[in-house]
Amino acid sequence: MTLAVLLLLFQLKVPDAAQFVGAPQGTPITGAVLETRTNEIGHLLRCPVCQGMAVSDSPAEMAVNMKGQVRELLARGYTEEQILRYFELSYGEFVLLSPKKEGVTGMVWVLPVLALLIGAVVVFFKFRKLEQALPAATPAAAPALEDPYLARVRDMVGGDKP
Amino acid sequence: MIPALGRLLILGSLLAAAAGAILGFAAGRTRSAEGLKWARRFAYLYSGLIVSAALLMVYALLAHDFSVSYVAQVGSRSVPTWVTIVSLWSSLEGSILFWGLVLGTYIGAATFLTRNRYEEYQPDAIGVWLACAAFFSFLIAGPANPFHTVPSPPLDGPGPNPLLQNHILMAIHPPFLYLGYVGFTIPFGFACAALLKGRLGHNVLKPLRESLMLSWIFQTVAIMLGGWWAYEVLGWGGYWAWDPVENASLLPWLTATAALHSIMVVERRGILKGWTITLVQATFLLVILGTFMTRSGVFNSVHSFKQSAIGPTILGFLAVSLLFVIGLLAFRIDKLEPEGRLEGAASREAMFLLNNLAFVLLTFTVLIGTVFPLIVEAMKGKQMSVGRPYFDSMTVPLGALLLFLLGVGPALPWGRASREQVKKALIPPIAGAAVFTLIGYALGVRSPWTLITLAFGGYAAQVTLSQMFLPMIQRMRNGEPLGSALIDGQLRRGRRRFGSYIVHAAVVLVIIAIAISSSMRTQLELHFVKGQTLKAAGYDVTFVGVEQRTEPHRLSTIGTFNIVKDGKPLTTLTPRMNQYQMMREPIGTPDVHSTAARDFYIALSNVDAAAETASISVFVLPMVMWIWLAVIAMALGALFGLIPSRRVILSAAKDPVPEGATETA
Amino acid sequence: MNRSVLLIGIVIAAALVAILFMGLGKNPAEIRSPLVGKPAPVFALREVGTNRTVDITQYRGKPLVVNFWATWCGPCWEEHPILVANARMYADSASFLGVVFQDKEDKILSFLQQRGSSYPTVVDDAGKTAIAYGVGGVPETYFIDAQGVIVAKHNGPMTPDILRENLQKVLPQ
Repeated sequence: MTLAVLLLLFQLKVPDAAQFVGAPQGTPITGAVLETRTNEIGHLLRCPVCQGMAVSDSPAEMAVNMKGQVRELLARGYTEEQILRYFELSYGEFVLLSPKKEGVTGMVWVLPVLALLIGAVVVFFKFRKLEQALPAATPAAAPALEDPYLARVRDMVGGDKP
Repeated sequence: MIPALGRLLILGSLLAAAAGAILGFAAGRTRSAEGLKWARRFAYLYSGLIVSAALLMVYALLAHDFSVSYVAQVGSRSVPTWVTIVSLWSSLEGSILFWGLVLGTYIGAATFLTRNRYEEYQPDAIGVWLACAAFFSFLIAGPANPFHTVPSPPLDGPGPNPLLQNHILMAIHPPFLYLGYVGFTIPFGFACAALLKGRLGHNVLKPLRESLMLSWIFQTVAIMLGGWWAYEVLGWGGYWAWDPVENASLLPWLTATAALHSIMVVERRGILKGWTITLVQATFLLVILGTFMTRSGVFNSVHSFKQSAIGPTILGFLAVSLLFVIGLLAFRIDKLEPEGRLEGAASREAMFLLNNLAFVLLTFTVLIGTVFPLIVEAMKGKQMSVGRPYFDSMTVPLGALLLFLLGVGPALPWGRASREQVKKALIPPIAGAAVFTLIGYALGVRSPWTLITLAFGGYAAQVTLSQMFLPMIQRMRNGEPLGSALIDGQLRRGRRRFGSYIVHAAVVLVIIAIAISSSMRTQLELHFVKGQTLKAAGYDVTFVGVEQRTEPHRLSTIGTFNIVKDGKPLTTLTPRMNQYQMMREPIGTPDVHSTAARDFYIALSNVDAAAETASISVFVLPMVMWIWLAVIAMALGALFGLIPSRRVILSAAKDPVPEGATETA
Repeated sequence: MNRSVLLIGIVIAAALVAILFMGLGKNPAEIRSPLVGKPAPVFALREVGTNRTVDITQYRGKPLVVNFWATWCGPCWEEHPILVANARMYADSASFLGVVFQDKEDKILSFLQQRGSSYPTVVDDAGKTAIAYGVGGVPETYFIDAQGVIVAKHNGPMTPDILRENLQKVLPQ
């Protein structure tokens, strides 16, 4: 509010998101929804002066300013994409805590899925191989692994098996 | 005098470790008993020298001997005694010396405890341990030397980083962490010895498993303490931020957990030997990676030490270790022949196989997320971040899979099972799943993942509880009274099994508590003027006033808030904003009121002492206390399982136990 | 010998060590600005202690050095005399402008009175200009050419050498 008055009074101009991402593409929001959305988007932005903390989590004044800027842009009707893009244009991709899902950066989302698929295949083949392995000459539990005396004692007592 | 003596002790430890390592490996090849004896002696010598050096440093710190470079760096006459002792590990050089202290103690103890057994594996194990020891002594002797002589010693020192002085956990978390990290060296030695010998026999499985379990217990508690510390001190209402240094402690824990499970399949069926050994090797390698991440300055983290010259040296050691492990595995893994087979997909062994997969995937995901910014910067010169949103979305499904396996795995029997058996095992616990889910839904849970967690958790809880008391129930079915069935079946024998199920029950609790505290939390921002009362999530919060306190290293602005619930005064909370002289940004310290049901947590976001206004973030976090308590239960359960029962086996062999008292797992 | 283990192992090991090695020597806390090579965001802010507005577009046609700072920042104290002196030295060929944010009017004024000033200083109240410029901390200095394009950015305190080096980039050859 004070800023708006000052802006009018002194014909001040602050650089606007419009310079970076154009006009708002969503609808303005207010009230509790505004706070919730501010918090959510604040968790997607990295505070540049804290080691790795999100803007919503940090008490640093820079983070508070950034959160205020997010709130203002949401109130004016900017969408989440536009807001994130604005910060990305001025701070760099570094400021986005959730990696963009495109290009080289997007690989980080793909690699674990790839690992899952490869892992599943490996496990499948290992499973098949183990099923076909020659069965041990002696039946059931722990063949040549255990000292035979110990194995007998264990069977008698019934202790310490997993 | 002290610096020179310290340098001498360190140099001695380096020489003893190097000589002992060479002797150990030589004795492993020649199988010379004399060689082994000398290797052991050098192990003890190394241990004695490095422990003495560390104790010497503690003495120098307490005596405020500022002629020692490390004391001049972190010592101070004006800090309490506990801070002086704690400053041993507060800064880089001291922390490596502390590493040496813990490693020396572990190697000395391990050498002593294996003295008349496992002679086949001892020489190689000692060789590996002392090779690692030699590296760390080299670090202490060279790049990270805390015993330099200060030419004109100052009269007083600056004290350790003030951020590390304001919480007692600084005295507890690092020791536990080092006992975990460093402890993984011991099972690593046994695993390498097994590969070198080409045999993974029962007689090396036991020390391998027990040393791995002990280190795992320490690491588990350490990770929890780290989370608790972050929660109490950093003020953002969370306990895990997927910070690189936090991930560094989690990675070896994940592979160690997988290894502990995989060992059971080796013991029971004689299969998955190669996988188990690989997991143990991976644990050690991740420890070295972790120490690189924390000390190299390559990663942006709240917790890391300042950038230093030892980064490249540790990377060199990591590279050498990787080559050694890969070579060992490539040339020897085929010697570990399977001695059994898998009987079917619906068997416990098969579940363990899936378990290994799930843990390895989780490890891979956390690792790739942590190092990915480095990869992108190397490839494209671009700086990007991989933060909490990524890790949370990727690990939740994998965590759910693990929880699922935690239920289904112990329900299935070992070996081939008939359809009837499988149905009998897998269907009843669905009741537990339904109960937990319905209770959660009734209490307001709507998040899909949390409901899934409750379902899997309820299933697992029923399986765990029914399996846990099986020995006692079977004894009672055979006519034994409750008292002796409980004591004999659960506490005197079968401790390992009972302990494991306690751990599982605690894990179910931890996962449910984490899910609930994340998805059912309330977060509000309130702005007060002095004397004002505002409502927050069913509580009445009154801002009483602001106080400013100047302390040696910081200016604290403290806000006082009275909390009232349902008309009854609950507590007074005093969150603070600390401006440290050495830091640009203030650090907020929250204040928390913890109960079994929930935590009421306040953090200052803005406070104006002159205008007497305050802005706070209020968090209501259900079930958080259960996370800390359940992890402690995990540690106690595992510890209970480690208590040896040799005497019991020997004495029972003299008086045979009545028929039918054997348990089926 | 198990070939697949050897192969997979070497690939993983080589990749890991290579990645970590390339990370050494880089400072992860130093963030490079994406605005280099882009037009400087336009702003008009109030000069401290006055009612005058300073518009950045009025500096077009001449290279401009914009320095973001604050009175509570230690390194800013160190670099201030260097900026003041150089602003005088290069008065004909380049303009200097200081932007203060997260600070109090009276503190700024007394700072400038005590330590001197040779160029205008404006106040960015809610830090919005700083956000648009991607300022992470103070001090940070931007070097803008005569057409209003950011040619270089320096994080951290200015030294005479760094200042000269970057000025060469914006001054006409």
